[in-house]
Amino acid sequence: MRSLSRLLLLMVLVAAVPADAKTTVIDDSGTLPYDAPLVLHWQQLSPRRPVNNRMIGTLTVRVKLNVAPWLRRPGRIYLVLPAQQPGAMNASWSTQGRLLPGRLSSGSRSLVYSGLITTPFIEDVLQLTLEVDGTQMRQLYHVNFRFEMDEE
Amino acid sequence: MHNASRLARLVLCTALLAAVSHTVCAFTVTIAPAAPKTVYLQVGVGGFTGNYNAGGTPGNNATVNKDSVTVAAAAVGNGTPQAMTTDSTVGASSYDGFAFCNVPAQLYIGGFYRTTTAGGGSVNVTATVPAALVDAGGDTLSFARISWTTGGNGPTGSTPTQPFPAGTFTAGAVQTVGAIAQNQWAESCWTFSYSNTTFPAAGTYTGRVLYTLTAP
Repeated sequence: MRSLSRLLLLMVLVAAVPADAKTTVIDDSGTLPYDAPLVLHWQQLSPRRPVNNRMIGTLTVRVKLNVAPWLRRPGRIYLVLPAQQPGAMNASWSTQGRLLPGRLSSGSRSLVYSGLITTPFIEDVLQLTLEVDGTQMRQLYHVNFRFEMDEE
Repeated sequence: MHNASRLARLVLCTALLAAVSHTVCAFTVTIAPAAPKTVYLQVGVGGFTGNYNAGGTPGNNATVNKDSVTVAAAAVGNGTPQAMTTDSTVGASSYDGFAFCNVPAQLYIGGFYRTTTAGGGSVNVTATVPAALVDAGGDTLSFARISWTTGGNGPTGSTPTQPFPAGTFTAGAVQTVGAIAQNQWAESCWTFSYSNTTFPAAGTYTGRVLYTLTAP
């Protein structure tokens, strides 16, 4: 009976750990290009019902994340695309293997790394594709991304 | 200079990393449309390479197609409209290859207007019509003698919904012959006819109509 109580207590404590996870913005200032120009093209040149007004573009980003503060500790890294102008967007990316490929919509984040942080920097080359509603494209827009660390 | 900029960025990021979630340490993608406005118009043979749904792309084609009719001597001026036929071989929609028009009875007209502007606007297609068709001897025949009906095969072919409706040429004028809603494909099939209500001198009468799609 006492061992069962201990087990339940342990389970409750384990379950509580993620709630204490701390989220921190990662220094990605080594990323190149840091303010990258991206020319968007119509996804469908010749629209007919159903109308597709998406514009799409792809660029290469050399990501360099300074994860020294979490060295030799486990962590989960997310790529975040905050909700912003010009409205609803989708991003997808491939990698060279250090980070995970994935996709996300604006206002959300996607896991790109999970595990022990073994080096002060995590670097990878992303082929980043961005999809935007073309009818909202009235000017230049600066679309911000960021990387977040969830400490385990 | 490049390194200095990077250092400044790093210092700024480091200084602000203490504050939890913030967008300062964030790489940015500056997006801009390459071709915010694109128009395509095809009357008869067009420049579409492949079909849209097979990854086709629009291009230019300098072909000028002809619609014509030969009126039998006994029928000239009898008031019975004479159906014209086209030398265009295009009956298939450039959108998906669907056999939308029946050649040579019908002439395909289609296109689209792409714009980043939101809303429900449209652009017009106009016809620049000479005053008359002319034969080798200088005899004339008013373009107003030529009319067309509209339609198409399949569910989008009903006459009342055609983006390029039926009409009659206005001699010596620029007239609107249809509209393309923004960010939509539009297509119709025209069947031309000669009214055959006059007695022109015998001859071969020709004239050229120029179709123009104008976007703001």
